[in-house]
Amino acid sequence: MAEEKYPINIWVNEERYEKLKEAGLAHMCEEMLAGMKVIRVYANAAQRDKILKVFPTAKFDSATTKSIELLPRNVKDKIFDVVVERKSVDVLDEFLKDY
Amino acid sequence: MAEIGHGGKEIVERILDPKEAPAKVRGLKQVPVRSQIANEVIGISYGFFCPLTGFMGKEDLDSVVKRMRLKDGTVWSIPILFDMSDQELSDYGIKEGDTICLTYHDNPMAIFEIREIYTYDKEAMCQSVFGTAESKHPGCARTYAYKDKFLGGDITLVTPPKINPPFDPYFIPPLEMRKRFREKGWQRIVAHQTRNVPHTGHEWLMKGAWFQTYAELPIEKPLVGVLVNAIIGEKRKGDYIDEAIILTQDELRKSGYFGDHNHMTSLTFWDMRYAGPKEAVFHAALRTNLGLTHHMYGRDHAGVGTYYGPYDAHHLLATVQDELNITPVYSMNWLYCPHCGEITSEGLCNHKNEWQKFSGTLIRSIVEDGVKPPRLIFRPEVFDLVMECAEKYGFGSPFVTDEYLAKRTPVFTIPPLAG
Repeated sequence: MAEEKYPINIWVNEERYEKLKEAGLAHMCEEMLAGMKVIRVYANAAQRDKILKVFPTAKFDSATTKSIELLPRNVKDKIFDVVVERKSVDVLDEFLKDY
Repeated sequence: MAEIGHGGKEIVERILDPKEAPAKVRGLKQVPVRSQIANEVIGISYGFFCPLTGFMGKEDLDSVVKRMRLKDGTVWSIPILFDMSDQELSDYGIKEGDTICLTYHDNPMAIFEIREIYTYDKEAMCQSVFGTAESKHPGCARTYAYKDKFLGGDITLVTPPKINPPFDPYFIPPLEMRKRFREKGWQRIVAHQTRNVPHTGHEWLMKGAWFQTYAELPIEKPLVGVLVNAIIGEKRKGDYIDEAIILTQDELRKSGYFGDHNHMTSLTFWDMRYAGPKEAVFHAALRTNLGLTHHMYGRDHAGVGTYYGPYDAHHLLATVQDELNITPVYSMNWLYCPHCGEITSEGLCNHKNEWQKFSGTLIRSIVEDGVKPPRLIFRPEVFDLVMECAEKYGFGSPFVTDEYLAKRTPVFTIPPLAG
């Protein structure tokens, strides 16, 4: 059985979209809620649990979206920067090493 | 003209004439109260909680717990209680029959005529009101936190609260609210209970309820209004800040998504119990007293976690509907359908596989990221105001933080007694 994945939604404005284009990742943006662009970084169960522990404001939306939400803006900014730097959305192991 | 409130009882403000107040409190023992009690003193004194004239005695409490009624038979679902520890009772030397002065922010707020002092089984209270005795339920936690004894008796306000900006225009007590409704010529008014900054899903809940409430009334002139009644009480970290809630709700009117002819925003001081169905019945009483004729109820009204089924509140309301003077308006969820290209109701649209549902958490995550959503999802005026509130009132965040809790300006203060 495939391992379950839990997305972190990073909402994409024009500035972020430009950076994603430069990194060749623009095609990975999905559209949610009336065309709002989002890029998803996926966590496995262990990463999800660590994120919820390390960032107490974060919440796992088990009811509607099955996503990890309400991470502080600076944390999401950091994750986004790593995505652009590594040109990949598979970055959580590296990101969580610091915590 | 008598203003008749919940249970067919007249709404009477229990507020002392300012000239009499200093003499009445002179020599009384002064007992400070916490914010929950201060909120409820306001609720009682201004008639938000009509027919209550004070904190509940044991007979009323027992009747509320066992029958969801006051001892006189009036439907009532949530205990309104004043608690003190044995130590405090002893330290202040308080006994049944005493009259004391309740203080808030070190100033006299109300006179409390203590009719009785009693104990009650908190677990039984929880089981009845919340349908569970688990201490992790926030309403149960609040109940278990009550001290040893309960004090019942009448309350009279001696110093009206000073409502601080930006909340001051939104505190409209029942008698004043009813006057304003008459001035507007509204024949029906539907309540929108909220603790949220509105996205368009909320906006359409109100618009849908407005249509439902309008029903067969003539349309030549505006006869129906929506009253947003924001609950202002204890905040938890991660909630939207109160300033953002009240100002953005009103922004929907100011920016023309509604208008003066059909929309008003107000607040009620109340610490949510998250009692689901029982809180829905309480809201019916509260909004009846405010002069509303209809009340919106969505899924899992005032619920928390998985304690209540989505329609439990509707079912409980149905059992007492004949005794309530307010008509429930049941609301289905609104969502965005990319196929329709619009906000629509789950009861209307059949593109089920394409639906993009509103999730409060998801919207908050967008706001947290500071990324402006499309106007179909979140009105730009509302988004800009949320960000403005974050800077002006939230110490940089639209959500409650430790800093906000420590440094915010209180919603109301009790000024010193004049004279």
